Amino acid sequence: MRRFLSIALGGLLIASASGCTDFLTKEGVGSDKDPNNPREATRDQLFVAAQAAQFGMQEANIGMMACLFTQQCGGVGGRFVQFRGWYFITETDANGEFIQTYGGGGLLDLRTIQEISEEDGDRVYAGVAKILEAMIIGLTADVFGDIPYRQAAQTGVIEQPEFDPQAQVYADVQALLTEAIADIQSGAGDGPAAVFDLVHRADFDKWVEAAYTLKARFYLHTVEQPNNGVSLTAYQNAITAANNGISSPENDFRAFHGSATSERNIWYQFSQTTFGQDMVAGKALVDIMRARNDPRLDDYFGLNANGGYGGYDAPTDGPADQDEISPFTGSLRNVPNFRQPLITWEENQLILAEAKLMTSGIAAAQPHLDAVRAQYDLLPVPATLENIILEKYVALFQNIEVWNDYKRTCFPRLIPVPDADFGHGFGDEIPGRLFYGSTELNANPNTPSTASQLANGGVAGGRPGVGGFRNPNDPNACP
Amino acid sequence: MRGHFRLTLAVAAGALSVSSAVLAQDGATVTGRVTSEAGAPLASASVFIDGLNIGALTREDGVYSFVVPAARVQGQAATLTARLLGYKASTVPITLAAGTISQDFRLAPNPLRLGEVVVTGAGTVTQAEKLGNVRNSVEAAEIVKSNEPNVVQALAAKAPNVEVTQSSGEPGASSYIRIRGQRTVTGGAQPLFVVDGVPMDNSSFSTSNFNPIDELGTGEISGTTQNNRAVDLNPGDIESVEILKGPAAGAIYGARAGQGVVLITTKKGRAGLTRYSWRSSLAIDDVAKTYPLQRRYGQGRFGASALPCDDINKASCFRSWGPDLQAAGRPAFDHSDEAYDTGTTWDNTMTVSGGSDRTTFYLSLGRTDQTGVFIGPNNEFKRSTVRLNASHRLTDRLTVSGNVSYADTRGEFIHRGNNVNGLQLALLRTPPDFNNFPYLDPVTGLHRSFRLQNPSPLSGSDSRGFDNPIFVLFEPLNTAKVGRAFGNVNAEWLPSTWLKVSYTLGGDYATDERLEGAPQASSDVSAGGRITEGTITNFELDHNLAGTATWTLSPSIAGTVTLGQNLSISNNRQLSVVGRTLVAPRPYKLSNTVNRDLPTDVETNIHRESYFGQLTVDLFDQLYLTGALRNDGSSTFGADDQRNWFPKGSVAWTFSNYLGEQPWVTFGKLRVAYGEAGTEPLPYFTSPIYNSGSILLTPISQGTGLSPSQGGRGGLYTWIVKAADRLLPERTKEFETGFDLGLYRDKADVSFTFYNAITQDVILLTPLSPSTGYFVQPQNSAEFRNRGYEVALNLRPITTSDFSWDVGLQWARNQSLVTQLDAATFIPLDGTNTLTPYSVAMEGHPVGVFYDFGWVKCGLSPNGMDAAVNGVDLATLCAGQPDGALYIAANGFPVADPNRRVLADPNPDWTGSVRSGFRFKKWEVSGLVDIRHGGDIHNGTRSALYSYGTHKDTEQRAVCDGDTCTGNEKTFGRGGWFDGPVVGPGAGTAVAIGENWYRQGLGAGVFAGNSDGFFEDGSYVKLRELSLGYTLDTEWVRRTLGLTSLDLRVAGRNLKTWTDYTGYDPETNLGGAIQNTRGMDYFNMPQTRSFVFTVNLNR
Repeated sequence: MRRFLSIALGGLLIASASGCTDFLTKEGVGSDKDPNNPREATRDQLFVAAQAAQFGMQEANIGMMACLFTQQCGGVGGRFVQFRGWYFITETDANGEFIQTYGGGGLLDLRTIQEISEEDGDRVYAGVAKILEAMIIGLTADVFGDIPYRQAAQTGVIEQPEFDPQAQVYADVQALLTEAIADIQSGAGDGPAAVFDLVHRADFDKWVEAAYTLKARFYLHTVEQPNNGVSLTAYQNAITAANNGISSPENDFRAFHGSATSERNIWYQFSQTTFGQDMVAGKALVDIMRARNDPRLDDYFGLNANGGYGGYDAPTDGPADQDEISPFTGSLRNVPNFRQPLITWEENQLILAEAKLMTSGIAAAQPHLDAVRAQYDLLPVPATLENIILEKYVALFQNIEVWNDYKRTCFPRLIPVPDADFGHGFGDEIPGRLFYGSTELNANPNTPSTASQLANGGVAGGRPGVGGFRNPNDPNACP
Repeated sequence: MRGHFRLTLAVAAGALSVSSAVLAQDGATVTGRVTSEAGAPLASASVFIDGLNIGALTREDGVYSFVVPAARVQGQAATLTARLLGYKASTVPITLAAGTISQDFRLAPNPLRLGEVVVTGAGTVTQAEKLGNVRNSVEAAEIVKSNEPNVVQALAAKAPNVEVTQSSGEPGASSYIRIRGQRTVTGGAQPLFVVDGVPMDNSSFSTSNFNPIDELGTGEISGTTQNNRAVDLNPGDIESVEILKGPAAGAIYGARAGQGVVLITTKKGRAGLTRYSWRSSLAIDDVAKTYPLQRRYGQGRFGASALPCDDINKASCFRSWGPDLQAAGRPAFDHSDEAYDTGTTWDNTMTVSGGSDRTTFYLSLGRTDQTGVFIGPNNEFKRSTVRLNASHRLTDRLTVSGNVSYADTRGEFIHRGNNVNGLQLALLRTPPDFNNFPYLDPVTGLHRSFRLQNPSPLSGSDSRGFDNPIFVLFEPLNTAKVGRAFGNVNAEWLPSTWLKVSYTLGGDYATDERLEGAPQASSDVSAGGRITEGTITNFELDHNLAGTATWTLSPSIAGTVTLGQNLSISNNRQLSVVGRTLVAPRPYKLSNTVNRDLPTDVETNIHRESYFGQLTVDLFDQLYLTGALRNDGSSTFGADDQRNWFPKGSVAWTFSNYLGEQPWVTFGKLRVAYGEAGTEPLPYFTSPIYNSGSILLTPISQGTGLSPSQGGRGGLYTWIVKAADRLLPERTKEFETGFDLGLYRDKADVSFTFYNAITQDVILLTPLSPSTGYFVQPQNSAEFRNRGYEVALNLRPITTSDFSWDVGLQWARNQSLVTQLDAATFIPLDGTNTLTPYSVAMEGHPVGVFYDFGWVKCGLSPNGMDAAVNGVDLATLCAGQPDGALYIAANGFPVADPNRRVLADPNPDWTGSVRSGFRFKKWEVSGLVDIRHGGDIHNGTRSALYSYGTHKDTEQRAVCDGDTCTGNEKTFGRGGWFDGPVVGPGAGTAVAIGENWYRQGLGAGVFAGNSDGFFEDGSYVKLRELSLGYTLDTEWVRRTLGLTSLDLRVAGRNLKTWTDYTGYDPETNLGGAIQNTRGMDYFNMPQTRSFVFTVNLNR
């Protein structure tokens, strides 16, 4: 018995000590390899996610802040929303955008798609990915001015990317779009299959049109010159691009959304959350639309408690009677599967109107403005810059481009929110940019300081000591 | 069910007593009585014959009796020893012959517990006087006296520098335990729990985190309370607890001992008469404090009523800045008190134990039924436990034993915290003119809330803004049902007189079924109803083989050598689904929902393979050296660093043995120890992955986000966490030294300890530049230091047979410091980064300090900072002013500083306790006071209630009409209004304080993006325990009731807390036992106090 036991115990010791050489490494049982997530991804999988990321980027935080800043939307009650409307913005607001621009679903994965496509000789696929890259990088430059680009998304090689001047980023984006168009038009490769192309279902001509309108959009972002001058060259370039831009409303570049929980339009999702009721119609937009009896009112807004339409006026924190304010809920757009328009025929027409107005005069601009208004049975108005931008302000509801237009043209004539109570505000002036994310600031010493961001761009702004808080492409303060 | 248990127990007990009766027919009967020197009977003393391993425990009257079988009675000489914790063992020679042998013992007290065997982990033991570390042990009686159903909470105030924080007074609420400060960020900052030699899971999980879309991993701050899994242990089964505070003591547990180890030993049976005990207690619980709310001003803004409130979008309905209800003669309701009732806790434990010379057993059944202090049916905690610890000696050299337990733990919980479906948030924000009763509209039968007061049939499943708090208590159902089996089998083999081999195979298997059922008319994202169902399956297996050889070179040089191997597996699996929109109002089942989110399916598997050795050397009976080394391999370490070494060494010198006994110093020991131990990395930190979970959520856009898969096509994106290239375990190097003294014939003893623990390679999710494409990467990138002192003093001024009095004092200080933090200015301790103020690790500050936007203050805000106050040069303005002087703008108000800074520190300056016991004959009175000095708490509840205008402080308010306010004038810096130095153009200006400050100004605290002004001193003095007991052991009890003794006890638990904290209780934490953040209060639940009545029957 005793002998048996000693053998048994001794055997156990030896077995356990030497029996399982892969005890610490056996995959799925006891290794350091994650059993819960894929460790490989295909190009199509990355492409589907990158499109979803693009939609979120355009519709979520920045889209909503732009809507509040330009008073298309009003923030009431909730601290997160109302404070943004009051220009209460901090360095934590845009942390998500930074990782989204550069990380998974953004630049990092878009570059991987391009690499795989170029190895496969599928230039069409690469071209489509380049358009998405231009779209997201251009947007980031719009919002932040100087941004990392040439050194970005190269982890393991460059850990602290330098910030490129905004003008250079725009130039790089134009070059990238030119490449993208050439790639797609080369016809080399099949491009993404229709099931993976959530935007245009593999109709690559539409992608090319979107690329041209995007080029025109970004040219407009470079027209503003110091002392209220404009760059006619940039306008000319915009016309050339827009002439090949989106040719009909059917070809609009729209986000894909479905009714499934994880596919719903972000604006709709927001309206369903705790803070959903905190964002309502903005008085500036509602008043313009009411004045001309715009048929899109029920498209954009729900009826207020009095059965009509009205908006919140951030500058006066009114009206006191909440019953006058329209919510988003109840509007035709506020449905889960609404495909948010991101780059449209209307924008393309209005870019042409503005560019032709500036280069050739009102007569050349008029047909483009009329064409857009005719969509809604609105009578023609003279194609002045203010009217063109006002039309764009109405047409591009919830589109970040409205903010960019305001920064360039100061139309519509918005009254900024007076200095907020909390000292974080940029009272007296509508912010021209956002702060770099604190996460970038925390880890990248190349990030411009808070003070330099506040002073960035153009001449000194509304308040002593604050500076412009604008980007280099926006050198002029609004009156 | 309970009745059935009892019947089973009776049958089992009957069967066992028959078997012991059979054994009693022959041989020698050894019997007698064990008393203290003063003559008091000593219960539970162990009396046994050395070498034969036969013996028994004494009953409550001190009497013991056991039978030596005839086969082993040969008239030989033997020694009989009586032993009891706290007394010096006594040994007498006897002659073992048939018949009755009577032997009484009088035991001398041994307050220092010298000679006692101390469990030191991984199968090693030593004796108290040979320990090179400070010893902190907690005995069964102390655990039971605490009247806490949770063993972790029972450790509160039991040992210096062992901080225990109960998250709230809810049934089953978790308790967080931290020893000698925090040493990790990503890992668990709580010690390893080891029960009978086998590691035991003490994790906590928030059911809400099964819903990643709505909660983003923040369930612990917004869901229901959670159990910490050590709650599955019945405290009544615990024999003793040894706390190994840090690596200097616990290095034998290697990479799992960085935060200390809590060694729990459960009760065992002893040979002799079968003993029965039944302990039954009833606790009456109530809320220790209600929240201070104002009842004067109603719903509205700027003094105007908001009514009617039938649209949750109507902003004026949110808050209580409306009309003066008193002036208007309108009723006001007291919301502070309306949600509470008295709760009850029934606790029953029945045990049977005993055995023969070869076989012993301990069988216990426990049942705890706790009903919480909230009205409504859905807050309770129920635990049924059964445990059988048995041992059988197969041969003289081989003993096998098993400790097996099963626990069935169930709870029903209430939503709390940062949660519109939570009780406190809704309750405390309700305007005083809204009656929360009835919570269902009497006409439509629908859920009515103060923001939707008259729900129409059309609004059936719309959001209510905030749920009606009474609805929260009656309608949702949040449950956890745990079935857990844990225990071990053990073989102890003595191949020769000098060698002992011990093998333990332990298992811990639990399934934890969770449900969160939100009714149709819930607010927010659960509007329409939402079901979250999930199961956690946790399995741990531990194999420990250790051999100990005892060696003797000469009478004065001896020692032991231990070699061992440990293999362990931790396997955790979680599977869950969220269903949205209920089809019918009930049942709360996934199948009753319209659509379902994608399931969550996560597993983690950790394998560990370790070897350890220990050498002890005892020199001249006074110098004791210990050296140990462990080599740990773990699958979490990553392929390049799969094995790591952890050494330890200690010296104890009993200088009183060298000096001889002195009249004043009867015992003296100096000790020095050094050890290294670690904290494992979380699994899979080195594995690069793609993600398929929801993306795209940024602060303003709340919602469920977009999945990378769209339109029926799978999508993946590179995960924002960059896998580590290589990762070492976190390593704490701890040096400890101190002394223990027994003074004046053991009338007093004192112990002093100093330690310095440096934790290197702390793993942080180190921020990367997002423009590189990644957000964070796990890296060994920080170093922490925890340094402190611990003092314990015990006095026994009176020790006579009728009368005794003792006092115990403990004091401890831990100073935490982040000595190095690479690659980032600060690291938030909560992974999701959603809580403000942030609780961070930041170089040059203690771990966990609060970091947020504050008000502009001299010396604290950056100088010359246009960024803080435009156009103001603070350096000039603050010249000659004290640091912290508050800047007052021309309008008379302070200004927000747009730069974050460290605002407060949640770590206490020192902690301590005072314990005293007083016995007079059969009467006993004892008490325990827990003291915490310093440590800030962020009172976020107060800041939100300021904004909402319901806090009592806001009853003093200016009249505001939108632009101007009049009345209630205050001057910042004086008159009890933020007293302190002020500078700036508006210093000394009186300003009206009302809605302009509390709702629209910095008085709104976190609602104004700023937490200055809401940090409060969390110091407290808490009467943890107070009890009065009486023991009946008269003839009448014995004859009429057939019992040896009957204990009656009346006790109070947390009866009184003295504190300046204005919230419910400074003992609170939003993140419970999940988050490593401390001192967060945001609509946390209140604590409770209890009156407890206990009857203890022994036979």
